[in-house]
Amino acid sequence: MATTVAAMILACVGILTLDSYLYRANLGRDLSALARIVADNSTAALAFGDAKAGAETLSALRARNHIVAACLYQMDGTILARYIRAGERRSCPPEDRRDELRFGGSEATVSYGVFRVDQRYGTLMLLYDLGEIAERRRLYGTMVVGVLLLSGLIAFWLSSSLRAFIADPISQLVKATTSVAETGNYGIRARKISGDELGVLVDRFNEMLTGIQSRDNSLTVALAAREEALRDVEKATERFRFLAESMPQKIFTASPGGDVDYFNQQWLEFTGLSFAQLKNRGWTHILHPEDLDANIESWRQALATGAAFSIQQRFRRADGAWRWHLTRVHAMRDTQGKISMWIGSNTDIHEQIEKEEELRRANDDLQQFAYSASHDLQEPVRNVTVYSELIAKRYRDVLDDDGRRFLGFLTEGGSRLAMLISDLLAYTRAGANDGNDGSDDDATIHSADAVLRYTLSGLAEAIRESRAIVTYDSLPDVSMGEAHLQQVLQNLIGNALKYRTDEAPRIHISATDAGSAWRFSVKDNGIGIDPSYREKIFGVFKRLHRDQKYSGTGIGLAICQRVVERYGGRIWVESAPGEGSTFYFTIPRQTGHAFSAAADLADGGR
Amino acid sequence: MIARRLFRSMQGLGMLRPRAIAPVCLAIALSLFTGLASQAADAPLESQIQAAFLLNFTKFIEWPAGALGAPYASFNICILGNDPFGSALDQVVAGEVVYGRKVTIQKIDREPEAGFCQIVFTDAQDYDPKLLSRLGRGVLTVGEGRNFVRSGGMIGFVLENRRVTFEINRPAADVAGLILSSRLLAVAKAVTK
Repeated sequence: MATTVAAMILACVGILTLDSYLYRANLGRDLSALARIVADNSTAALAFGDAKAGAETLSALRARNHIVAACLYQMDGTILARYIRAGERRSCPPEDRRDELRFGGSEATVSYGVFRVDQRYGTLMLLYDLGEIAERRRLYGTMVVGVLLLSGLIAFWLSSSLRAFIADPISQLVKATTSVAETGNYGIRARKISGDELGVLVDRFNEMLTGIQSRDNSLTVALAAREEALRDVEKATERFRFLAESMPQKIFTASPGGDVDYFNQQWLEFTGLSFAQLKNRGWTHILHPEDLDANIESWRQALATGAAFSIQQRFRRADGAWRWHLTRVHAMRDTQGKISMWIGSNTDIHEQIEKEEELRRANDDLQQFAYSASHDLQEPVRNVTVYSELIAKRYRDVLDDDGRRFLGFLTEGGSRLAMLISDLLAYTRAGANDGNDGSDDDATIHSADAVLRYTLSGLAEAIRESRAIVTYDSLPDVSMGEAHLQQVLQNLIGNALKYRTDEAPRIHISATDAGSAWRFSVKDNGIGIDPSYREKIFGVFKRLHRDQKYSGTGIGLAICQRVVERYGGRIWVESAPGEGSTFYFTIPRQTGHAFSAAADLADGGR
Repeated sequence: MIARRLFRSMQGLGMLRPRAIAPVCLAIALSLFTGLASQAADAPLESQIQAAFLLNFTKFIEWPAGALGAPYASFNICILGNDPFGSALDQVVAGEVVYGRKVTIQKIDREPEAGFCQIVFTDAQDYDPKLLSRLGRGVLTVGEGRNFVRSGGMIGFVLENRRVTFEINRPAADVAGLILSSRLLAVAKAVTK
């Protein structure tokens, strides 16, 4: 406002100065012209000394009320005529022969020579009252003040109406932003007052607030969801800890890199050590030195492949006793399939292992006893048989009928006893691990085809007698002792020949690939087996037929089972009475019984 | 005119010798006195004023084309009969130029040749009015007394309140082809329409 006023005042001063200058210039021209006209009209008066005519000419200047005085001077300097404005007490100024216009403080003086055809007749002087300039200045000043006042009024009116248009919406906006900033409430909206750019600004501001509000809301929701997820994780962790603590097993967890980061209470109680002592491979100090290598190797493989593993190893109890544990370690994976942690459980199987050992020892003892008993029995039985046959041959005539009949029972019983003992011996041998039964070739590969042909040639007499038809497919090579395979085949084929119907036996031997093992089958068209006896028939001395029709000791299938199981295989039968039977057994491929034994141990030493 | 001359010379002396004011003043006083004395002796003041007026008329009157004669001819003011001016008129016209021509005074006794005189002045009371009409185009006739204008003269000097003034016979001037300035008419004592 002040600058505007100053500018206006400056402008007015400028205008005044310019006007004053222009006015003077104009006035000068005007007065010069006036003087020229008056001088022209005064030539004759001066030329002929006619004062009256001169005065008449000058009196015409009355029309110009700013002319104060006008004087006509003759050549001798005397005044011919004069005009003095009414009410003015002036006399003529001294003659000035120079043609000029002179501005004094309050008057302008014009002197002008009076000429007629190059002849000068005198001088005209005009006195001009410059009060007009002051008058003009007053007028201009009044105008300036008026304009200032008017423009001020207009400016005031404009600013007050602009305030309604601009300042009010802006202050509304400011109010809204301030309250949003202070309260953090993004639901506040600025009120829209006008539809102009400010209204658009308010709309945009409100849209922005809406955007911020929705983002704020979604952020709150996301934060809540995150908190809940965190709580869930905490809960899950707590649950896991609780589970781990409440289990009888010793539980640990390890980082994806295999560093153990948690041991449950059972661990601490068992070892008598703190977590600080166990962590960072501190647990290796309570691992039995003999089990260390296997442990390291298992972990190495697990970390390389991510596969789970289970090993048996001994840990030292707080009292210094070594205890067998079954350790199972599994990798826990996240949704991307990346390993997030390893979880391990250790079950104390020490009692189990000890009992198994005890049992195995007892079994071995029993087997040893059975073997030596049957072995030692062979000699006296042979004596009984030999001598009874000798008596029958040499003293046949001495004995009466009854004597001969009794001797016949004795001989028969003796041979039967010898056969039983022989079978028993075979059975004990089949299960023995001492390697004295020709098992040097256990792990070597033999052609099952060759073994079958050999076996069949041994059974040729029985086959011929029974008029049986034996067929077989091509058999694979298996890593099984020749004698053992022959024993199994001979028993199964022998059974097929023995338990026949009236029809001629038809026997078919084949082998199929069952993945990790070869599955052999011996199919016959014999009497078949009732399903309820399918398991029983593999027991020692289990015979389904007591009558004399089917001779045998009842040990054959037991021997078969013993041999097959020794190689990690399985033997079973599928049959129905009157429809023949099919015996199956499997021999694992490329695996020796040593591994199987280890696998058995790892599986719980069953 | 004389006064103007005097004034001019006085001014010139003053300008030339600013440091010798006293002797100059003395010289002026002497010359003024002698000048005035000689003029006073030569002709009455009334004649002197009339002489000046004669020349002044030339400034307010337009002569018709052809009335001025050959370009090298002088502008002749002819005094018919008695010469009342003495040397006053000679002094007035000395060095004056009208229409680019030198102004000369011619004294004549009888009717002049056509085209010789541009102004014919006569102070005679008994002039022949027919003569005035015979002078023809391009000749301004100036005389004395109220009868001059009435008897066909163009400008007649009359005395009024001891002031020299003049009357104008405008139709006569028109006939002669002279155009009189309105300013001249404005200062005339009377104008015959």
